[in-house]
Amino acid sequence: MKMKKILAGLLACAMLASMAACNSSSNKETQAASGDLPLIGVTIYKYDDNFMTYTRTAMENAAKGVATLNMNDSANDQSKQNDQIDTLIQKGVKALIVNLVDPSAAPTIAEKAKAADIPVVFVNKEYPEGTDKIDYDKCVYVGTTSEESGIIQGELIASAWEANKDAWDKNGDGKIQYVMLMGEIGHPDAEARTTYSIKTLNEKGIETEELANQSATWDATKAKELMETWLGKFGDQIEMVIANNDGMAMGAIEALAGNGYFGSDGKYMPVFGVDALPEALDLIEAGKMAGTVLNNPLGQGTACVELAVNYAAGKDPLDGTEWTLDDTKAVRVPYVGITVDNMDIAKEAYGLK
Amino acid sequence: MDKAKKQQITNFLLSYGIYIVFALMILVIVILDPSVLSLNSLTTILTQSSTRCMLALGVAGLIVLAGTDLSIGRMVGMGAVLAASLLQAPNFERRIFPNLPSNWGFIFLVIALVVVLLACASAVSGTMVAKLKMHPFIATLGMQLVMYGVCSTYYNWIGGSPIGSLNEDFKSIAQGKVIDFGGGANLSLLVVYAGIAIAVIWFIWNKTTFGKNMFAVGGNTEAAAVSGVNVDKTIITTYILAGILYGIASVLELGRTGSATNNLGVNYETDAISACVVGGVSFNGGVGTIGGVVLGVLLLQAINFGLAYVDVDPNLQYIVKGLIILVAVAIDMRKYVKKK
Amino acid sequence: MGKENYVLEMSGIVKEFPGVKALDNAQLFLRPGTVHALMGENGAGKSTLMKCLFGIYAKDAGEIKVNGEVVSYENPKQALEHGVSMVHQELNQVRQTRVADNIWLGRFPKKGLVVDEKYMITETQKIFDDLGIKVDPRTKVGSLSVSQAQMIEIAKAVSYDAKIVVMDEPTSSLTEQEVAHLFRIIEQLKSKGVGIIYISHKMEEILKISDEVTIMRDGKWIATEPASELTTDKIIKLMVGRDLSHRFPPKTNVPGEDILKVEHFNTLYDPKIKDVSFNLKKGEILGVAGLMGSGRTELVEALFGLRKVDSGEVFVEGKKVNNKDSLSAIKNGFALLTEERRATGIFSVGDIRFNSVIANIKAYANKIGALNDKKMKEDTKWVIDSMHVKTPSEKTKIGSLSGGNQQKVILGRWLLTEPDILMLDEPTRGIDVGAKYEIYQLILDLANKGKGVVVISSEMPELLGISDRIMVMSNGRLAGIVNTAETNQEEILALAAKYI
Repeated sequence: MKMKKILAGLLACAMLASMAACNSSSNKETQAASGDLPLIGVTIYKYDDNFMTYTRTAMENAAKGVATLNMNDSANDQSKQNDQIDTLIQKGVKALIVNLVDPSAAPTIAEKAKAADIPVVFVNKEYPEGTDKIDYDKCVYVGTTSEESGIIQGELIASAWEANKDAWDKNGDGKIQYVMLMGEIGHPDAEARTTYSIKTLNEKGIETEELANQSATWDATKAKELMETWLGKFGDQIEMVIANNDGMAMGAIEALAGNGYFGSDGKYMPVFGVDALPEALDLIEAGKMAGTVLNNPLGQGTACVELAVNYAAGKDPLDGTEWTLDDTKAVRVPYVGITVDNMDIAKEAYGLK
Repeated sequence: MDKAKKQQITNFLLSYGIYIVFALMILVIVILDPSVLSLNSLTTILTQSSTRCMLALGVAGLIVLAGTDLSIGRMVGMGAVLAASLLQAPNFERRIFPNLPSNWGFIFLVIALVVVLLACASAVSGTMVAKLKMHPFIATLGMQLVMYGVCSTYYNWIGGSPIGSLNEDFKSIAQGKVIDFGGGANLSLLVVYAGIAIAVIWFIWNKTTFGKNMFAVGGNTEAAAVSGVNVDKTIITTYILAGILYGIASVLELGRTGSATNNLGVNYETDAISACVVGGVSFNGGVGTIGGVVLGVLLLQAINFGLAYVDVDPNLQYIVKGLIILVAVAIDMRKYVKKK
Repeated sequence: MGKENYVLEMSGIVKEFPGVKALDNAQLFLRPGTVHALMGENGAGKSTLMKCLFGIYAKDAGEIKVNGEVVSYENPKQALEHGVSMVHQELNQVRQTRVADNIWLGRFPKKGLVVDEKYMITETQKIFDDLGIKVDPRTKVGSLSVSQAQMIEIAKAVSYDAKIVVMDEPTSSLTEQEVAHLFRIIEQLKSKGVGIIYISHKMEEILKISDEVTIMRDGKWIATEPASELTTDKIIKLMVGRDLSHRFPPKTNVPGEDILKVEHFNTLYDPKIKDVSFNLKKGEILGVAGLMGSGRTELVEALFGLRKVDSGEVFVEGKKVNNKDSLSAIKNGFALLTEERRATGIFSVGDIRFNSVIANIKAYANKIGALNDKKMKEDTKWVIDSMHVKTPSEKTKIGSLSGGNQQKVILGRWLLTEPDILMLDEPTRGIDVGAKYEIYQLILDLANKGKGVVVISSEMPELLGISDRIMVMSNGRLAGIVNTAETNQEEILALAAKYI
């Protein structure tokens, strides 16, 4: 009996909590809508993606007072995203901001929007053929190029290597013996970052030797386990860890710390990531991470909202903004290499300063 | 005569087939790179198996009940995110809750909170299974989604960014070493915890009334009911026990990884359930041993480790792991489903 | 013994289910140290009455007194704690665990926190020694034979030191010797003052062991009489509610040539069929007798392609056939009416048409796979008419028909496949006596048309009443084939125990 009561209580609590959650979210929309602001539909490829979470926050901040955003989580499912876009069009949004699940789905989305004459701003995931190849005049892309993050990471590593060659080149052969933590296999960013970081290094005349290259699917725990495996196998042969994102770099650092690195005896391993997450910035500040690449979520989030608001008002998307379109109808928000020397740029991008 | 021999061989293969497969795979890995055989590898595998082992022990009881739990990963994620948000380093400038204490007492309080939370969540799954007669697959699938939703909401509310910079005292609980063998090899505290968990669960399964009732309910619910076993209570208690194990594992997983996102733990249930299946816990209920589960966890982790060690293409790794599970289940079916 | 001296008094018990009054003012009075038989046809309410006693069902009205005290158990556990135990008809055992674990399930002896293994084993051994059961308490139940498992179940019920023990069909899987053993155990219990409720269909058994008999019909109490004043005919009359002068239709069939020949037939998986050879003639009704677990069902399942055959040959009209699955069996002219009508016979939510045509569904498909509605309707009408199915329409859900009418539909279903060999596994189980006669008549009609019919039955009088020959199975082997006209129950029972 007692058990029953406790359980009933728990169930009731859970229900209340969920109701409260529903309330708060519906409130949000009505509040904003009452201000008679243009309604802009947003679909995010996956809510639990760290970077997109920052971009989302930036969008919400940029939209304050200028637009109402209807946010959707596509849960890494393109068909779900398509349904969401149908719903948004039905709702009568004035513009769409679409963070594609599958980049090649861009024309399908554009077709839907075109039929309803609603302009589209694609963000962060780019149609592989180029946005200019999509048969719709009212669509633009805001983001970066995948290769660029790799190139910037390569440049970052090159300059750091040149500066610390004596300490980092443990066997003195002038080559970098590195291990690579790759993101999800087949993911355009993972492939591009893996390829272009090393390519850039080599182009700059720095020789490299890959000891191992495995996918940790962007995940810190998996990266930690891989790093432990490699430390067991290669030990001091490893001169550098290159990761496709900061999450995996953090996992690797945790494994290194557990194996006596970054301690009082000065044992050190340079680890590079991409994303410049606040946590990574802390690690850089603490001297445990060598560098990362800022994929500017503030810039991307703000830019796509600005463009969408212009579109919604029937204006040229770039009207009154600092952005420019390149020849593929894309606004390129630049990547920045971040080390301990220029952390403020990153902190600003995340609104930490 | 010939037929009897054939029967014998078949029985042998059914009993030990999966272990032969493992032995062969490990042999192949060793041939590809003999340096994998080291004390360092062994201790790494043991450490990496520890939290997985606790999760597997938890779900093993549910599989003995002929059930399952699809919510393990998200439960672990929920526990880890909650604990991480409360256990940040005191000197960290961007603490989510700047005024929380950071002494040992508080650390253990947080651990207890997580354990109680997950035990309650698991009890809800158990109640749905026992009282509402829901299929465990559906009940725990629902719980998986709810857990993830709650966890993500909380995660977004506290900033939506990976939570790191944890309290060093807390991390030392998970990352501490008991013996350092040198050269990177060490006996970690995690292994000790796993050992304790194994001993406790073994005791519960084999020496207590609850354990025996659990096997009876899993083997023949009707028989247990008419013999005066409180079936509902047995089911719910098994779920609570699993929840406690998930809670401990989630805190340790957090301490081991050093940071948490709302995506931590995703798909952990597949590892835990496959370890049970490999270890001979039958999906038909009523059959399973702690030794089998532990062996299953260790073998799977050894393969995980070995495949990464010899740098096997990750896509191929998925195929290998998938085949292992299919072989294990096929053997299980051959063994326990009545052949006609 | 005074009239007021009862260990159990159940009176005025009413239990209603939606649409059915399962118990209507039922009653049962049990004296200590006696065996009280509870009789009635299937559906008469015997099990429901017992379930009310054990708290599995909540009674709607009535009073239950144990030792003069009014009780109302909420579950079997409470009943057990108050000294009321039961031997269940279906073996309710955890086959994956040991004998001792099963005996002590629900009341494990404890030493502190820990289950006292040693006590458990030694006590189990003591109980077994006491009852003369030779089974090691450490063996897994799954590895025991059906009759051993049944004896364990009896030992368990006894071991509760119960004042009242209910035995539901305890002998259905026991050999004659084991039955005798059980009766000795019952005598032992009687001498200790235990009251026993004994549910069985076997008249001889009842008349031999019981002191009093209560007969139920349609959920109502009909009569309670001392066993010494009853005869089989009288019991049947009370159970059925009218005189049954003719329990079986007159035999008119004449067996002809062999239609089926089975030689050295073996199956691969447990429970195995070992080296069975027999023949079946056109127009013959071949009865199959044997205890539960003797392989009767397994034999017909294997012949129908539902079990893996290890070796042996099957000939239909001299031509060798290989029934590798049910589809090829149907093609070769076989039909199988399964034992568990509810589990493997009817599609209870389907209508009569669906249930009639399902085994023959391919015959109604045209070139593109669409089904011919008109033809299905015609055939369903034929089933309803020729089998005398009592139903409002062909669209009625089969689950709402009585057991006898369900069985007729399924018989009709198989006749639509135009079989030459019909294998009927317990065709009259759970069917009331009146409807049984109709089924017997249908079986005879089939034989008269020259079909070969195999009838498995646990009811000896039924086999003796309708078959031409009876083959007796024992532990997966053929114990013998006898001519019905020249045999009797004793011979058949002796054969059934031949290989045990």
